[in-house]
Amino acid sequence: MAMRAFVLRHIQLPGQTLTATGSKPHPQWYLRASLRLFSSHDDHLTKEEVIDRVLDVVKSFPKVDPSKVTPDVHFQKDLGLDSLDNVEIVMGLEEEFKLEIPDKEADRIDSCNLAIEYIYNHPMAG
Amino acid sequence: MAFALRSVKVPPNSASLEEARSRVFDFFRIACRSIPAIMDIYNLDDVVTKSQLRSTIASEIRKNSHITNPKVIDLLLFKGMEELNNIVEHAKQRHHIIGQYVLGRQGLVQDLDTKDEGMSDFLKNFYKSNYF
Repeated sequence: MAMRAFVLRHIQLPGQTLTATGSKPHPQWYLRASLRLFSSHDDHLTKEEVIDRVLDVVKSFPKVDPSKVTPDVHFQKDLGLDSLDNVEIVMGLEEEFKLEIPDKEADRIDSCNLAIEYIYNHPMAG
Repeated sequence: MAFALRSVKVPPNSASLEEARSRVFDFFRIACRSIPAIMDIYNLDDVVTKSQLRSTIASEIRKNSHITNPKVIDLLLFKGMEELNNIVEHAKQRHHIIGQYVLGRQGLVQDLDTKDEGMSDFLKNFYKSNYF
Protein backbone atom coordinates (compact mmCIF):
# COMPACT_ATOMS: atom_id res chain seq x y z
CA MET A 1 0.00 0.00 0.00
CA ALA A 2 2.73 2.39 0.94
CA MET A 3 4.68 1.47 -2.16
CA ARG A 4 1.62 2.17 -4.27
CA ALA A 5 1.13 5.56 -2.72
CA PHE A 6 4.80 6.35 -3.19
CA VAL A 7 4.73 5.42 -6.86
CA LEU A 8 1.52 7.29 -7.54
CA ARG A 9 2.86 10.38 -5.91
CA HIS A 10 5.95 10.33 -8.03
CA ILE A 11 4.48 9.73 -11.45
CA GLN A 12 4.70 12.89 -13.42
CA LEU A 13 2.10 13.73 -15.99
CA PRO A 14 3.12 15.92 -18.92
CA GLY A 15 2.38 19.56 -18.43
CA GLN A 16 1.61 20.76 -21.91
CA THR A 17 1.79 24.47 -22.23
CA LEU A 18 0.32 25.76 -25.48
CA THR A 19 1.63 28.99 -26.73
CA ALA A 20 0.41 30.84 -29.75
CA THR A 21 2.72 28.87 -31.98
CA GLY A 22 1.91 25.58 -30.26
CA SER A 23 5.14 24.53 -28.61
CA LYS A 24 6.28 20.99 -28.19
CA PRO A 25 5.46 19.29 -24.90
CA HIS A 26 8.13 19.13 -22.26
CA PRO A 27 10.75 16.47 -22.91
CA GLN A 28 10.22 14.78 -19.61
CA TRP A 29 9.21 11.27 -18.89
CA TYR A 30 5.68 11.26 -20.13
CA LEU A 31 3.16 8.57 -20.47
CA ARG A 32 2.06 7.43 -23.84
CA ALA A 33 -1.01 5.57 -22.69
CA SER A 34 -2.72 5.73 -19.35
CA LEU A 35 -0.34 3.71 -17.25
CA ARG A 36 -2.25 2.26 -14.33
CA LEU A 37 0.32 0.20 -12.58
CA PHE A 38 -1.90 -1.91 -10.36
CA SER A 39 -4.90 -2.35 -12.58
CA SER A 40 -5.76 -5.41 -14.61
CA HIS A 41 -8.50 -3.49 -16.34
CA ASP A 42 -6.84 -3.67 -19.74
CA ASP A 43 -6.05 -7.33 -19.38
CA HIS A 44 -8.72 -8.59 -21.77
CA LEU A 45 -8.04 -10.89 -24.65
CA THR A 46 -8.07 -9.31 -28.06
CA LYS A 47 -10.80 -10.31 -30.45
CA GLU A 48 -8.38 -11.91 -32.91
CA GLU A 49 -6.89 -14.02 -30.18
CA VAL A 50 -10.34 -15.17 -29.08
CA ILE A 51 -11.30 -16.00 -32.66
CA ASP A 52 -8.07 -17.92 -33.26
CA ARG A 53 -8.35 -19.97 -30.13
CA VAL A 54 -12.03 -20.74 -30.62
CA LEU A 55 -11.40 -21.87 -34.19
CA ASP A 56 -8.51 -24.04 -33.01
CA VAL A 57 -10.73 -25.77 -30.48
CA VAL A 58 -13.42 -26.39 -33.09
CA LYS A 59 -10.94 -27.59 -35.70
CA SER A 60 -9.31 -30.06 -33.35
CA PHE A 61 -12.65 -31.68 -32.64
CA PRO A 62 -12.33 -35.13 -34.23
CA LYS A 63 -15.65 -35.09 -36.02
CA VAL A 64 -15.12 -31.76 -37.66
CA ASP A 65 -13.64 -31.14 -41.08
CA PRO A 66 -11.12 -28.33 -40.44
CA SER A 67 -11.51 -26.80 -43.88
CA LYS A 68 -15.15 -25.99 -43.22
CA VAL A 69 -14.53 -24.04 -40.05
CA THR A 70 -15.06 -20.30 -40.34
CA PRO A 71 -15.83 -17.74 -37.64
CA ASP A 72 -19.54 -17.84 -38.38
CA VAL A 73 -20.14 -21.52 -38.91
CA HIS A 74 -23.11 -23.15 -37.17
CA PHE A 75 -22.25 -26.34 -35.33
CA GLN A 76 -25.31 -28.36 -36.10
CA LYS A 77 -26.38 -26.91 -39.41
CA ASP A 78 -23.06 -26.39 -41.17
CA LEU A 79 -20.78 -28.90 -39.53
CA GLY A 80 -23.35 -31.66 -39.23
CA LEU A 81 -22.85 -32.27 -35.53
CA ASP A 82 -25.54 -33.25 -33.08
CA SER A 83 -26.54 -31.69 -29.79
CA LEU A 84 -24.20 -33.83 -27.73
CA ASP A 85 -21.30 -32.71 -29.94
CA ASN A 86 -22.46 -29.15 -29.38
CA VAL A 87 -22.21 -29.60 -25.60
CA GLU A 88 -18.82 -31.24 -26.04
CA ILE A 89 -17.48 -28.31 -28.04
CA VAL A 90 -18.74 -25.89 -25.41
CA MET A 91 -16.97 -27.92 -22.74
CA GLY A 92 -13.82 -27.81 -24.85
CA LEU A 93 -14.10 -24.02 -24.97
CA GLU A 94 -14.59 -23.94 -21.21
CA GLU A 95 -11.37 -25.85 -20.80
CA GLU A 96 -9.43 -23.69 -23.26
CA PHE A 97 -10.45 -20.37 -21.73
CA LYS A 98 -10.60 -21.57 -18.13
CA LEU A 99 -14.20 -20.49 -17.79
CA GLU A 100 -17.26 -22.05 -16.30
CA ILE A 101 -20.22 -21.34 -18.51
CA PRO A 102 -23.64 -21.73 -16.79
CA ASP A 103 -26.09 -24.14 -18.35
CA LYS A 104 -28.46 -21.55 -19.73
CA GLU A 105 -25.73 -19.76 -21.61
CA ALA A 106 -24.18 -22.99 -22.76
CA ASP A 107 -27.46 -24.10 -24.29
CA ARG A 108 -27.61 -20.87 -26.22
CA ILE A 109 -24.19 -21.29 -27.82
CA ASP A 110 -24.92 -22.87 -31.16
CA SER A 111 -22.36 -21.47 -33.52
CA CYS A 112 -18.86 -20.03 -33.64
CA ASN A 113 -20.31 -16.50 -33.70
CA LEU A 114 -22.08 -16.85 -30.39
CA ALA A 115 -19.13 -18.63 -28.83
CA ILE A 116 -16.68 -15.88 -29.84
CA GLU A 117 -19.05 -13.17 -28.68
CA TYR A 118 -19.70 -14.81 -25.32
CA ILE A 119 -16.05 -15.45 -24.59
CA TYR A 120 -14.98 -11.99 -25.70
CA ASN A 121 -17.51 -10.41 -23.38
CA HIS A 122 -16.68 -12.64 -20.45
CA PRO A 123 -14.52 -10.80 -17.89
CA MET A 124 -12.76 -13.91 -16.68
CA ALA A 125 -11.73 -15.31 -20.03
CA GLY A 126 -8.16 -16.57 -19.89
CA MET B 1 -14.56 -32.91 -1.48
CA ALA B 2 -14.15 -35.92 -3.67
CA PHE B 3 -17.43 -37.26 -2.37
CA ALA B 4 -19.38 -34.15 -3.24
CA LEU B 5 -20.66 -35.70 -6.43
CA ARG B 6 -22.51 -38.39 -4.53
CA SER B 7 -24.90 -35.84 -3.15
CA VAL B 8 -26.11 -34.96 -6.64
CA LYS B 9 -29.07 -37.24 -6.87
CA VAL B 10 -30.85 -38.05 -10.06
CA PRO B 11 -34.51 -37.64 -9.07
CA PRO B 12 -36.42 -40.77 -9.96
CA ASN B 13 -38.80 -39.54 -12.59
CA SER B 14 -38.23 -37.46 -15.63
CA ALA B 15 -41.52 -36.09 -16.77
CA SER B 16 -40.75 -36.10 -20.45
CA LEU B 17 -38.10 -36.94 -23.01
CA GLU B 18 -37.05 -33.29 -23.05
CA GLU B 19 -36.35 -33.30 -19.35
CA ALA B 20 -34.45 -36.56 -19.62
CA ARG B 21 -32.44 -35.04 -22.45
CA SER B 22 -31.45 -32.02 -20.41
CA ARG B 23 -30.51 -34.34 -17.53
CA VAL B 24 -28.22 -36.21 -19.91
CA PHE B 25 -26.49 -32.98 -20.89
CA ASP B 26 -26.16 -31.99 -17.22
CA PHE B 27 -24.58 -35.34 -16.48
CA PHE B 28 -22.21 -34.90 -19.41
CA ARG B 29 -21.18 -31.48 -18.14
CA ILE B 30 -20.58 -32.79 -14.63
CA ALA B 31 -18.47 -35.60 -16.04
CA CYS B 32 -16.44 -33.24 -18.23
CA ARG B 33 -15.81 -30.92 -15.31
CA SER B 34 -14.45 -33.84 -13.29
CA ILE B 35 -12.00 -34.80 -16.01
CA PRO B 36 -9.09 -32.69 -14.69
CA ALA B 37 -9.49 -34.27 -11.25
CA ILE B 38 -9.62 -37.74 -12.77
CA MET B 39 -6.48 -37.16 -14.79
CA ASP B 40 -4.78 -35.97 -11.66
CA ILE B 41 -5.89 -38.88 -9.49
CA TYR B 42 -4.90 -41.62 -11.91
CA ASN B 43 -1.90 -39.91 -13.51
CA LEU B 44 -3.32 -40.20 -16.98
CA ASP B 45 -1.41 -37.26 -18.42
CA ASP B 46 0.93 -39.42 -20.46
CA VAL B 47 -1.74 -41.76 -21.68
CA VAL B 48 -4.63 -39.68 -22.85
CA THR B 49 -5.68 -36.06 -23.32
CA LYS B 50 -8.69 -34.31 -21.85
CA SER B 51 -10.39 -34.01 -25.20
CA GLN B 52 -9.98 -37.73 -25.85
CA LEU B 53 -11.65 -38.48 -22.54
CA ARG B 54 -14.43 -36.07 -23.41
CA SER B 55 -14.96 -37.84 -26.72
CA THR B 56 -14.98 -41.17 -24.94
CA ILE B 57 -17.64 -40.04 -22.51
CA ALA B 58 -19.68 -38.63 -25.38
CA SER B 59 -19.48 -41.86 -27.32
CA GLU B 60 -20.57 -43.83 -24.27
CA ILE B 61 -23.58 -41.58 -23.96
CA ARG B 62 -24.23 -41.84 -27.67
CA LYS B 63 -24.34 -45.64 -27.50
CA ASN B 64 -27.68 -45.29 -25.73
CA SER B 65 -28.98 -42.40 -27.73
CA HIS B 66 -31.64 -44.47 -29.46
CA ILE B 67 -33.65 -44.96 -26.26
CA THR B 68 -36.93 -43.11 -25.99
CA ASN B 69 -38.34 -44.20 -22.64
CA PRO B 70 -37.57 -41.49 -20.03
CA LYS B 71 -37.49 -44.01 -17.20
CA VAL B 72 -34.86 -46.08 -18.94
CA ILE B 73 -32.85 -42.93 -19.54
CA ASP B 74 -33.12 -42.11 -15.83
CA LEU B 75 -31.82 -45.53 -14.93
CA LEU B 76 -28.91 -45.19 -17.32
CA LEU B 77 -28.13 -41.78 -15.86
CA PHE B 78 -28.18 -43.23 -12.39
CA LYS B 79 -25.73 -45.91 -13.41
CA GLY B 80 -23.58 -43.36 -15.18
CA MET B 81 -23.56 -41.17 -12.10
CA GLU B 82 -22.59 -44.14 -9.97
CA GLU B 83 -19.72 -45.00 -12.29
CA LEU B 84 -18.54 -41.40 -12.27
CA ASN B 85 -18.64 -41.31 -8.48
CA ASN B 86 -16.67 -44.51 -8.26
CA ILE B 87 -14.02 -43.10 -10.54
CA VAL B 88 -13.77 -39.73 -8.82
CA GLU B 89 -13.54 -41.13 -5.32
CA HIS B 90 -10.71 -43.43 -6.40
CA ALA B 91 -12.66 -46.61 -5.87
CA LYS B 92 -11.34 -47.75 -9.22
CA GLN B 93 -7.74 -48.10 -10.24
CA ARG B 94 -5.64 -46.88 -13.11
CA HIS B 95 -5.80 -50.07 -15.13
CA HIS B 96 -9.59 -50.02 -14.91
CA ILE B 97 -9.74 -46.54 -16.34
CA ILE B 98 -7.21 -47.26 -19.03
CA GLY B 99 -8.82 -50.53 -20.06
CA GLN B 100 -12.36 -49.24 -20.04
CA TYR B 101 -12.03 -45.71 -21.32
CA VAL B 102 -8.73 -45.25 -23.05
CA LEU B 103 -8.06 -48.42 -24.95
CA GLY B 104 -10.58 -50.27 -26.96
CA ARG B 105 -11.72 -47.24 -28.88
CA GLN B 106 -10.52 -48.87 -32.08
CA GLY B 107 -12.39 -52.10 -31.54
CA LEU B 108 -10.95 -54.13 -28.70
CA VAL B 109 -13.27 -54.93 -25.86
CA GLN B 110 -16.10 -52.49 -25.83
CA ASP B 111 -16.71 -51.70 -29.45
CA LEU B 112 -17.36 -55.29 -30.39
CA ASP B 113 -20.95 -54.39 -31.23
CA THR B 114 -20.10 -52.15 -34.12
CA LYS B 115 -17.44 -54.48 -35.40
CA ASP B 116 -19.85 -57.36 -35.53
CA GLU B 117 -22.48 -55.37 -37.30
CA GLY B 118 -21.84 -57.13 -40.58
CA MET B 119 -22.00 -60.54 -38.98
CA SER B 120 -25.06 -62.62 -39.66
CA ASP B 121 -27.65 -63.19 -37.00
CA PHE B 122 -27.16 -66.92 -37.29
CA LEU B 123 -23.55 -66.61 -36.24
CA LYS B 124 -24.36 -64.26 -33.40
CA ASN B 125 -26.95 -66.66 -31.98
CA PHE B 126 -24.62 -69.55 -32.55
CA TYR B 127 -21.89 -67.89 -30.54
CA LYS B 128 -24.31 -67.08 -27.78
CA SER B 129 -25.83 -70.48 -27.10
CA ASN B 130 -26.80 -73.89 -28.40
CA TYR B 131 -30.49 -73.30 -28.54
CA PHE B 132 -31.94 -70.74 -30.86
